[in-house]
Amino acid sequence: MNECILVVDDDPEIVNAIAITLEREGYPVRRAYDGLQAVDECLDPAVKLILIDVMMPRLDGLSALLRIREKRNLPVIVLSAKSEDTDKILGLSMGADDYVTKPYNPQELIARVRSQLRRYTSLGDVHAEGRQGLLVNGRLSYDPAGRILRADGDEVKLTPTESKIVDLLFHHPGQIFPAEEIYRRVWNEDAFSCENTVMVHIRRIREKIELNPKEPDYIKVVWGIGYKMEQHG
Amino acid sequence: MDTKWNNTDKDPGEALERFVAEEVREAAAAGKGVKVLRPGGRVKALVGFLAFFLGMTLALSALGALGNRIAWERDPSPRWEWDWQETDAFRGEVSHYLREFLTIGAGGAVDFYDGVYYWDGGYNGAVVEQEAIRTWWGFGEVAEATTVDQGTLEPVFPAEPEKEPEKEPDAAYQTDKNVLYYIQSGEGKERKIYTNTDPTKDEQGRLMARSLREYNFYLQFKDGKVSIRKGLQDLDVYGSGIYDGDSKWFVPGYDNFPVSEDLKGVTVYMAVRQTPERYYGVDYKNGGTYYNSAFYSLARQVEESESFYKTQGLLLFIAMWCLVVWCLLRKSVEPVNRKIASWTVHVWTEARFLLVTACLLWALLPGLLNLDLVYELLYSYSYGWEDGYSFAAWGMAVVRLVTMNVPALIALFWLWRLLRNDHQQNPREARRSLLRTLFRSLRASELKRPVEKRLARSGGLVLLALLTYFALSLFPMAVLVNFVRVHPGIWGWCLLLLACLLEALLVWALYSAWRSRGLAKDIAALADQVEAVRAGDLERPLRLPEDADLRQTAESLNDIQAGMKAALAEQTRSERMKVELVSNVSHDLKTPLTSILSYAELLRQEDLPPAAADYAKIIDQKAQRLKTMVEDVFDISKAAADQLPVHLERLDLAKLLRQTLADLDGPIQKSGLTFKVELPGEPVMITADGRRLYRVFQNLIDNALRYALEGSRVYLKLKTAEGTAEASVRNTSRSELPEGVDFTARFVRGDSSRTDGGSGLGLSIASSFTEACGGAFRVETVADLFTAVVTFPTEQEGQEA
Repeated sequence: MNECILVVDDDPEIVNAIAITLEREGYPVRRAYDGLQAVDECLDPAVKLILIDVMMPRLDGLSALLRIREKRNLPVIVLSAKSEDTDKILGLSMGADDYVTKPYNPQELIARVRSQLRRYTSLGDVHAEGRQGLLVNGRLSYDPAGRILRADGDEVKLTPTESKIVDLLFHHPGQIFPAEEIYRRVWNEDAFSCENTVMVHIRRIREKIELNPKEPDYIKVVWGIGYKMEQHG
Repeated sequence: MDTKWNNTDKDPGEALERFVAEEVREAAAAGKGVKVLRPGGRVKALVGFLAFFLGMTLALSALGALGNRIAWERDPSPRWEWDWQETDAFRGEVSHYLREFLTIGAGGAVDFYDGVYYWDGGYNGAVVEQEAIRTWWGFGEVAEATTVDQGTLEPVFPAEPEKEPEKEPDAAYQTDKNVLYYIQSGEGKERKIYTNTDPTKDEQGRLMARSLREYNFYLQFKDGKVSIRKGLQDLDVYGSGIYDGDSKWFVPGYDNFPVSEDLKGVTVYMAVRQTPERYYGVDYKNGGTYYNSAFYSLARQVEESESFYKTQGLLLFIAMWCLVVWCLLRKSVEPVNRKIASWTVHVWTEARFLLVTACLLWALLPGLLNLDLVYELLYSYSYGWEDGYSFAAWGMAVVRLVTMNVPALIALFWLWRLLRNDHQQNPREARRSLLRTLFRSLRASELKRPVEKRLARSGGLVLLALLTYFALSLFPMAVLVNFVRVHPGIWGWCLLLLACLLEALLVWALYSAWRSRGLAKDIAALADQVEAVRAGDLERPLRLPEDADLRQTAESLNDIQAGMKAALAEQTRSERMKVELVSNVSHDLKTPLTSILSYAELLRQEDLPPAAADYAKIIDQKAQRLKTMVEDVFDISKAAADQLPVHLERLDLAKLLRQTLADLDGPIQKSGLTFKVELPGEPVMITADGRRLYRVFQNLIDNALRYALEGSRVYLKLKTAEGTAEASVRNTSRSELPEGVDFTARFVRGDSSRTDGGSGLGLSIASSFTEACGGAFRVETVADLFTAVVTFPTEQEGQEA
């Protein structure tokens, strides 16, 4: 039995399209068309995740989000046409678990929904336990001892080189590593024009761990400087 | 529009040639004023300049020397006669000799001409004065004036005249063989002969014979008439027979200059040597050194004069040809002038002034120091002019003064040329002056002080000066009052009234100066207010007292301040509205687009007939493109409104390019294009927003991938020079590039058919993002070669902190 998902948008066509997509994936869907409806609907304990638009009549998405948070602890994905960094930061700081910009990619949306659900259900225990030495970063968790990387609880198969890169980045979240540095640490050789090599490996890692490898959430390029692992809550 | 640049039969070589020609023209235009010297132009310029220099110097020196010589009258006239025996001086001397011989022959002083003439035979260089003729001869002075080599004269001290020897009357002439003479007087027993040749021979014949050889000048005085033969020619002595100013020979025998009775029996033959030799004689009787080398000196003078004039003439001739050469090469001399100007520009104005002064002093000092000499000569020149110092005399005096120092004159001329050249070639600002620099620095330091201080100081000075004047004026006032009291009268009262008026004026000026101290305060307040407004204070207006002189100005300033405030508010509001509008439009576009994309995706998942599936696919593709365009338009609108958020940081441009290439490695590999990448090994540090700049290069490479000719090479280069980093992406276009198109404008693309899948915004975004990051973006197209260039100022290593 899959979890029920509440989809909120003032445009019924969009709600419908998302609902169809989700239902095809086997998720039951509830619909709401403004903020107040959303607040009402979320009281049903069957609802396990909310997809909510920001700009809506009666009560906008972010205000509704605040009210929902007072009542329930469940993953909320904000779906908005506002694509600027400031909007994203605002959404996330007001309690959203993820932020997807319109027009969205249906595949990515489903991947994000699935990821959020898994983190809130099956992974809840893992987070609560806070196993010793486990490095947690958003939907990723890394066990340095066993060199095991999990995304949404599933183990990610990594080659030895990829594993070394992940190891390096996970130990220093937020720190920027130039390609030469990564190469020297991972390959134990002095680097010379290694940008392509490093990039190839990073791209492969991204394909394995990111929901949208083209717009990565975790392993990011700092243009003109190097690469870093973004820390998520 | 399409067909204009799409016809393919154009020769690409032609386009390239046109391009090269254009480049050369532009380069020439950029270096405006810098003439491109043809080979040989340098030589031409130098030759022309040297010709001018030589020509002017020679001409000036020759003209100066000539003017000097003519003005100072150093030559026995006539000037252009190079036979010394044809000069007035020679004729005068011959006349003098004849007179002497006649005196000897007559046995004592004779009346030469009815007592009007008299002479003093006691010394050489006789002065003859005659009212009507006004002739003044002075051989001795002429001889001194020229630098004819007189030989070294041994000072001969007069020997003790133990016994006065009896001497012949012609003793003084006997040893001088430059003049041979034969004097005969009396008849029969009374007959007396004085000669410095053998007296036994028939002297007339001998002298005649000699006059043909060494002694070419022969004079005979017989029967009261003079006949002269020069060489083989008899000269016309008497002319019209009347002695007047035009007569050449001052000898007796004219109708109005008859021979006196005493000379009737005297016959004189004399011959003068063609080339006189130096001769000295000593006259003990007179108790001093005595020499008579008048003929020798004269001959030497004329000879010297001839060589002088011929030399100067030759110099003038050379100078003329030099100037002709210069005239022909005139145009090409300009670079030399410029070069010289580039040197002279460094000379300070004071130095120039000093140089000119020194040159002027050098030129004129000798004349000024010897003004009495000049005056004397001026006087001598004006002698003979009816009105004293005539115009010509003054002119001659000026020529004398000016030609006194010819080298200085030449130096002055070249100095003038140099300064003129400098003024023509160099702009006024380039000139340097110590005084001006000093004044400027003083003024600058003065300007640093606040305006009220400056005003207070100048106002205080004025007040002090006025007070002093007032105090000083009281004394003459008191004197005047006393005078009027003692000598009452209408003029005295008038004067007193005038003085009182002046005094009142002074008091009024004092009052004004005192009042202006308040004005200075107001000006200071106004200046502070202007400064505050400039600094951005639009809130506080300036309040001056109602009766202040600057009240009106302050009110105007307040109005300006209020106007600025309103304008700024309006501008802020409109900027905000613009961004809001763009944001809303973008949002409103995205909402339906989301539906389209979602349903297109759902449609694709349906089991459709093949044709319908194709349609769905097309809808999806176009919707995707629309999505890209909407995002691009949003970005570009924000950039245009200066609302694009940029996070500037120090980054390595070379690394950024490597990362971009690595990131786009997949598409690059797929494209079949060869990327020739040339990046420096060392970091190229610039300040920019990495994400925006990545977008710039992503767009540029994307552009190359999309529009480059299949299988061609794409060149990506990063160069650093003089504090700038220049990254360029160059590719050969697949289709012909239109000319005169701004590729960075929105919705412009090389192929106007708009079917290539690009938004037409790539280069526009690259351009606005580059500029938002503080760089410069430009596109160069040459024929089918497309180059996009991104330029950034590089960070200096020292700035790392």
